Amino acid sequence: MYVLHYAPDNASLIIRLVLEEMGLPYRTALVDRRIRAQDSAEYRAVNPTGLIPALQSSEETLFETAAILLWLSDKHGQMAPTIGDEHRGNFLKWLFFTANTLHADARLLFYPEQYAGSPDDHVAFRGKTEVRISKHLRLLNDIAASAPPYLNKERPSVLSIYICCLIRWINLYPVDRKGWLPLHDYPALFEISKGLQDRPATHRVADAEGLGPTIFTEPHYANPPEGSAL
Amino acid sequence: MYTLRFSPDSASLIVRLILEELALPYEARQIDRAAGELSSPEYRALHPLGKIPAMETPNGPMFESAAILLYLSDRHPGLAPAPDAQDRAAFLKWFFFTSTNIHTTLMDIYYPERVAGDAAAGSVVTHASAKMKTLLAAINQAAEDNPNWLSFEQPSLLGYYIAVLMRWLGQNDPEATGYIKASDYPALHKVLAMLEMRPASLAVAAAEGLGKTIFTMPS
Ligand SMILES: N[C@@H](CCC(=O)N[C@@H](CS)C(=O)NCC(=O)O)C(=O)O
Ligand SMILES: N[C@@H](CCC(=O)N[C@@H](CS)C(=O)NCC(=O)O)C(=O)O
Repeated sequence: MYVLHYAPDNASLIIRLVLEEMGLPYRTALVDRRIRAQDSAEYRAVNPTGLIPALQSSEETLFETAAILLWLSDKHGQMAPTIGDEHRGNFLKWLFFTANTLHADARLLFYPEQYAGSPDDHVAFRGKTEVRISKHLRLLNDIAASAPPYLNKERPSVLSIYICCLIRWINLYPVDRKGWLPLHDYPALFEISKGLQDRPATHRVADAEGLGPTIFTEPHYANPPEGSAL
Repeated sequence: MYTLRFSPDSASLIVRLILEELALPYEARQIDRAAGELSSPEYRALHPLGKIPAMETPNGPMFESAAILLYLSDRHPGLAPAPDAQDRAAFLKWFFFTSTNIHTTLMDIYYPERVAGDAAAGSVVTHASAKMKTLLAAINQAAEDNPNWLSFEQPSLLGYYIAVLMRWLGQNDPEATGYIKASDYPALHKVLAMLEMRPASLAVAAAEGLGKTIFTMPS
C-alpha cells in the first residue's frame, strides 16, 4: 500500500492520476498548506526539501515527481517504455526535459518570490518565462504530433499526465494571468489532454480533489473537500 | 558505438566521464561553437534546442545530460542500482533532485539574466546561491551514509554528476555569492576526492585540458 503525501491540485496530482490509472492501492496523507505543513518537522523528515509530493512505499520514501513517475512505471511495467525498449532513450530525454526545463520554468510562474526579491522583478520574470514556456510546449507538441508510444492520445502515459497537469497549472497561475496560454496553439497536446480528461481514473481524482469535470481543457481552481491548493 | 558532441568543460563533461568510467567505445567530436554549430540544421536534428551535450546512439540521438546518463547506466550496468534493486528508489530521487534542483539552480547562478532580464539578475543570483547551499546540504546528508549510489569508495553515476556541478561552483570567484567550497560539504568532498583520482577522470582531464584536482580544487 502506497502513501501519497499530497495537497489538492499540487504536483501530487500527477502521481495520484498515475496511481489511479495503474490501479494501484494507495492512501493519501494531506499536507495542509494553510498551516504550511510542508515546512513542519514531520514533513521535512519525509522530504527534506519540503516539496509536495512524496510517496512512501514499503521500501523507501520517494520524492521528486519525475523520479516517482519513472520508479512506478518501471516497478509496475506500465505507462512508459521499459528498459531495452527502443523508445526508452527518447522517453527519458523528454521526461528529464519536462522535469528540469518545463516544470522548473513553470515554478517560476507559481513562486516568483522564491527566485527574485521585489515584485517589480516578478513582472520581468513573467514575460520572459511565458516566452520560454511557449517554446518548450511547441517542442513537446511537435513530439506529440508524431504520436510516439510515450506521448499519444490513444494510451495514457506517465509523461502525458505530467505534461497535461503542468499545462493546467500554467493556465491557472499566477491568478491574475489565468487563461493566458492559448491551448489550441498546441493541438496535439490538446487532443491528448481531452482524452485523458475523460478517463474514469481522472474523474475519480478530480472528484476527490474538487477539480471539476474539465480539468485540462477548461481548468478551474480547486474546491477541495480537505486542505487547500495554496 | 556512441558519438558524443562535446565542448570542453561543458555539460558534455558529465557524459564523457561516464563513458570513460564504463570503458565504452565512443568518439568525442568537438562542437565548433564559434562557427555557430549549435544553431546548424545538422546539430538541431540531434538536439532541437541546440544545447550541449548531444550523443548519437544505436537508438538515435539523445540529449539532456541526466537522461543520457540513465540511458547508459541501464544499458551498461555498474554505476547505479539496477531497476529491480532495493535502492533504486533512493538513487532515482536524488538523481532527479540533482537534475531538477541543483543543476537548474546552478544555471540560475551563472545565467541569471536568462531568468528575468538584467535588472533582476543580482536578485536572482542572491536567491539561487542561498538555495544552492540548502540543496547541497541536503544531498551531503544523504551521502553521509556512504550509499553505493553516491559512495566514497567506488565510482557512481550520481557521484560524477554532482562532482562536475561542484567543479563549476568551485570555479566561481571566491568573493562571489555563488562560490561554493567543496570542503564545506565533507561527505560530498570525500566522493569528489576519490573520483578525481580515477583513471577515467585523469584521462578526460588530459583530453579537455582541465588540470589536476578537477573536482575538489578546480582551476
Ligand atoms: N521538483 C519538485 C517540485 C514540486 C513542487 O513544486 N511542489 C510544490 C507544489 S506544486 C510545493 O511543494 N510547493 C510548496 C512550497 O514551495 O512551499 C517535484 O517535481 O516534485
Ligand atoms: N539540461 C541540459 C542543460 C545543457 C546546457 O545548458 N548546456 C549548456 C552548456 S553547459 C549549453 O549548451 N549552452 C549553450 C547555449 O545555451 O547556447 C542538460 O543537462 O543537458
